Amino acid sequence: MKELVEYIAKSLVEDPSQVQVTETTQSGTTILELQVAQDDMGRIIGKNGRVANAMRVLVRVLASQRGKRVTLDIV
Amino acid sequence: MSDTRSVETSAPDIESAIEQGLRELGVARESVIVEILEEPSRGLLGIGARQARIRLTTAAPARAAAPTPPVALPAAVAGESAPAEEEDEPGEEAAAPPAEDADAFDDDTLLADAQPISDSELDEDARVGVATLEELLAKMEIKARVAVYRARSSEDEETPWVLQIQGADLGVLIGRRGETLAALQYITRLIASRDLQRRANIVIDVEGYKARREKQLHRLARRMAEQALQIGRTVTLEPMPPYERRIIHLALRDHPQVTTQSVGEGEHRKVTIIPDRR
Repeated sequence: MKELVEYIAKSLVEDPSQVQVTETTQSGTTILELQVAQDDMGRIIGKNGRVANAMRVLVRVLASQRGKRVTLDIV
Repeated sequence: MSDTRSVETSAPDIESAIEQGLRELGVARESVIVEILEEPSRGLLGIGARQARIRLTTAAPARAAAPTPPVALPAAVAGESAPAEEEDEPGEEAAAPPAEDADAFDDDTLLADAQPISDSELDEDARVGVATLEELLAKMEIKARVAVYRARSSEDEETPWVLQIQGADLGVLIGRRGETLAALQYITRLIASRDLQRRANIVIDVEGYKARREKQLHRLARRMAEQALQIGRTVTLEPMPPYERRIIHLALRDHPQVTTQSVGEGEHRKVTIIPDRR
């Protein structure tokens, strides 16, 4: 599932080389952790977390296609 | 085709009234318009308590309202596309009556009468938008096609491109109150705007959902305005996202006898229709 987050994040940041997504599974839930350069944090969180929330909505669509649950954390 | 059905129900609160109505109609929440006819009130010590009164209206099958099948654009075919003439409606979508029912009020709708366009007319916004959207859909593992329309222009805005996502079972892309569609449009616009280094002038729709919803909202606006005038009191609609509230405001902008105003915060923000004092 990390490819989707990676694609979105890399498309929005100034420094795509610093985008890292790790994917782990914990009791059936996929946990995605997204890391970006400090200066890019604002771009992927957005005003009032709007960008981050929209990413969560989309990654949830993907998860539901696969019958899974997912959380996206920005670290 | 004209199987628009409607029921009115009452219950102590709005949600229960809606549930009751849905049971009576035997349809899903997404396929009805909810009108709040009367807000509930607890009254004092049970005296003067008022039940919530609502009306649910379903509409005829949505297929009829879908735009003419667009020319599939080579640039606009995502991966393995779904069967070309997929006619199944995502079950949870709202339905609308046939387009012929459209009357004068629908003249200034943005999406309803969008025309498909040919490849040569695609400008940069559409190209970048489609590419971005296709990439997103592929990564979301959604099998669908993207067709491009040019929306009919409204007076004061630049005409946007409509990227119409077509395929089977796409209700998942719409989500509750269009939340998923809004997120998809937001991210696509962000990415496309970054590529273009200016605001991408695109709108995203799924199987004509917005167009149908827009027509429904126009009808709702008119009916509720009539009602506000009849009872001589402010009528409050259910909470709506900004895009939908805007449609209501615009629909009644030129109404000579009512004014509209949004009240409440965030998710609970809703439009009120206020009859003018005579």
